[in-house]
Amino acid sequence: MLNMEAPRPTEGFFARELGALLAPDRIRVGAAAARAYECDAYTVDRAEPWAIALPESTEEVAVLVRWCVRHGVPFTPRGAGTGLSGGAMAARGGIIVSTKRMTQILEVDLPNRRILAQAGIANKRLSDAVAAAGLHFAPDPSSQTVSTLGGNIAENSGGPHTLKYGVTAQHILGLTLVDPTGEVVHLGGDATGGPGLDFVGLVVGAEGTLGIVTEAWVKLTPLPEAVHTLLASFAEIDQATASVAEIVGSGILPAALEMMDEGIMRAVSQAFRLSYPEGARALLLIECDGAPEASAKEAAEAERICRAHRALAVEIAEDEAARQRLWIARKKGIGAMGRLAPSIVTHDGVIPRSKLPEMLRFVYEVAEQHRLLVANIFHAGDGNLHPCFGFDDRDPEQIRQVVEAGEKILRKCVELGGSLSGEHGVGVEKSELMSLMFSPDDLCLQADAKRIFNEGDLCNPCKVFPSQKGCIEHRARWRGVAW
Amino acid sequence: MNAELSELASHCIRCGFCLESCPTFLVTGEETESPRGRIYLARGSLEGRLDWRQAAPHLDACLGCRGCETACPSGVQYGQIVELAREEIAARRAAPGLRLLLGMLTRPGVLRRLGALGRRLPGARMPRILGLLFSNEPPVAGLPVAQWSGMLPPLDETLLMPITGQAFILDGCAMGSLFPRVQEASARLLRRVGLAPKRLASGCCGALHAHSGYVAQGAAMARRVLARLPENDVLVATAAGCGSWLKEQAHGKRRVLDLSELLHENGLGEALKKAPGYWAVATYHDACHLAHAQGIRSQPRELITAIPGLTLLPMPESDLCCGSGGISNLTHPSQAVALQTRKLENAQATGASLLIQGNPGCHLWLAPAAKARGLTVLHTAEALEAAFIGLEWFCDGAKQTAEAERT
Repeated sequence: MLNMEAPRPTEGFFARELGALLAPDRIRVGAAAARAYECDAYTVDRAEPWAIALPESTEEVAVLVRWCVRHGVPFTPRGAGTGLSGGAMAARGGIIVSTKRMTQILEVDLPNRRILAQAGIANKRLSDAVAAAGLHFAPDPSSQTVSTLGGNIAENSGGPHTLKYGVTAQHILGLTLVDPTGEVVHLGGDATGGPGLDFVGLVVGAEGTLGIVTEAWVKLTPLPEAVHTLLASFAEIDQATASVAEIVGSGILPAALEMMDEGIMRAVSQAFRLSYPEGARALLLIECDGAPEASAKEAAEAERICRAHRALAVEIAEDEAARQRLWIARKKGIGAMGRLAPSIVTHDGVIPRSKLPEMLRFVYEVAEQHRLLVANIFHAGDGNLHPCFGFDDRDPEQIRQVVEAGEKILRKCVELGGSLSGEHGVGVEKSELMSLMFSPDDLCLQADAKRIFNEGDLCNPCKVFPSQKGCIEHRARWRGVAW
Repeated sequence: MNAELSELASHCIRCGFCLESCPTFLVTGEETESPRGRIYLARGSLEGRLDWRQAAPHLDACLGCRGCETACPSGVQYGQIVELAREEIAARRAAPGLRLLLGMLTRPGVLRRLGALGRRLPGARMPRILGLLFSNEPPVAGLPVAQWSGMLPPLDETLLMPITGQAFILDGCAMGSLFPRVQEASARLLRRVGLAPKRLASGCCGALHAHSGYVAQGAAMARRVLARLPENDVLVATAAGCGSWLKEQAHGKRRVLDLSELLHENGLGEALKKAPGYWAVATYHDACHLAHAQGIRSQPRELITAIPGLTLLPMPESDLCCGSGGISNLTHPSQAVALQTRKLENAQATGASLLIQGNPGCHLWLAPAAKARGLTVLHTAEALEAAFIGLEWFCDGAKQTAEAERT
């Protein structure tokens, strides 16, 4: 048994042992590999793994996990590494278990509208595989061209269209999990709504702390017959939020209802030379889909509501190319921030929709106090706000400012009656803030639930729950590491 | 510290949107073999957290396809980052093998001799020693085989539109010596849109050098090529890699265009509608340096679609690198074969019998393996000119036909 406080084993040890266990080409060690895997898309916290394993099957994952348990080595699952809360960071070192060599579609079952795939496949490839049959995998995080099925399951990912179609949890029928002891477990079934306790529901959104999902049966959803997309611009944020409230209140269920602020417009117009009406301070992207007549009627009603709230302009997409253009600000807004700052961090909080104007004012104040560039994207339909800060990650002082500003914003979300996380997960970023939302009893109950799967503390340690054994001292090492 | 590299690399926000567009990441699944990973390693080395020698193998394995630039929402100029990072590596490492290979492959004379050798030894591989200079794997790339260069049927000048201008076709290294038929077809197509075709026998433009990290040498070679082009004139590239490099290097009044761009601009589409055409089912492979580096996707497709009788079918992953990647099929054979297989499987799945593309590297790399699967690889210029004079002039039987006609 390796002691956590003992010096870490040599690279040669991992390469030799794990290479013999699986195959030499499945194991990577060395300075370059450790560095490349030290963080995901959340770059504020970084910790190098000791080795990286790239298993090709459920059985290989199980063999690896059993080896880790035997040797007391922590292990952390990782998909594409697009997570935004540090969920794929090797917080206590140990081994990164990458699913990126498990990317096969294993079975397509069109009559029953479902598909079985390995965890490492990119989300979008599932939809591409069945597009010809008029079906798709509905969860659509912005990262869907790259983020993996396993990662989406871990984070219970959302996306613009989850307002109507639901988050990942609603689309997972069953899964294969290598539990933290290395046992292969099949959960759920072939159909929705099995009897008994919902273990699939527990695993989806557990951020990889209950084991490593290696395969899943996912539900396929028919593609909508018609799609209507509008982009409305407003001079005041309050006008946009009032429009959102009325649209939702009128009984329309848009497929997507997204708001973008001035910061996003500025980044996008610099990056793509797009222009928005002068004086616009908020954009509202509305998409209605479904049967042609019904969706057209919904879109017309949404347009009427926006105009009634004095929209500066309402642009309506006439064809697919125009639709893509209207989506640019939403899809590429955060990326465009990268053109303005060396590094960004995208926060994720939930607030009651009615509190948005107040919340945005607070975000701008905080950004000014901490001298940070800021832009906001808001899933207005479900109250999920993404403030995005730009900063220079080579400057330790700026990193400190970013961490502080982020904490202030999350505290405010909870204060306003919202939540710490909508869809990015808690990861290492927010674990210490969990006590803002949950009482010690609540947290104990969650820890008990976790114990059903996980007797040890090796599986994705230091994630989600605050003040875990052996994590406090490590936290000081990886929190806010500058270049 | 290299301030330019530092600035360019700092725009990467590590979102990872590039991953699935990267051929080496798709083949290995490894972060170190991804654009994001490579930028991270280059930054780490630049800022003294990592040794350039540790980053080098991962930067070496990059095919330079720039598919990641298309996918990047932050506008990261990855191609430049890799060139500059390779320059840092080249400054710290003697790479005689790479230099020798570059020297050989970019000299028309040497290429012509290699080509002649390749024709005499069917199935000949690159000399084993060359492959072993870079990896422990035996080489898989064939010796370049030069195209048959017999005469195509004469153009009937009386039926052509009057000449209204001129354009210079870049012979460079590979195109002039290995693809005379493509060059000839290109010249005829220019004439068909009223441009007098001139040839620029210029030597290598330095694209391969620059993409391998010898940026200064590559730039000097490009300057020499461009200096031979009369001012206010147009240089037409039939090789995607050369076109994109020379576009980056051309300043002032000298214009560089890809052949498909120029033909599209000058109304070849109209002329094609009146051509006899031919019956074929084809698909189109986007050469990386056309699609990703120059944004040229629609022009060749629109021209090919205008060929009467031809059906163009879309190919999945049409803009994923075929593994050739400049000289990557020599330096990283197994990676190159994996991508070649993926490309040909995608092409076969469409049901097409013609695979049309616009770059000599892809052409040389794909043609022999495609043939084994019953697919014929053609350059866009060949496919287009075939609409006027018949496909048989550009397929395997072409030589016999021409010889029979001569005797």
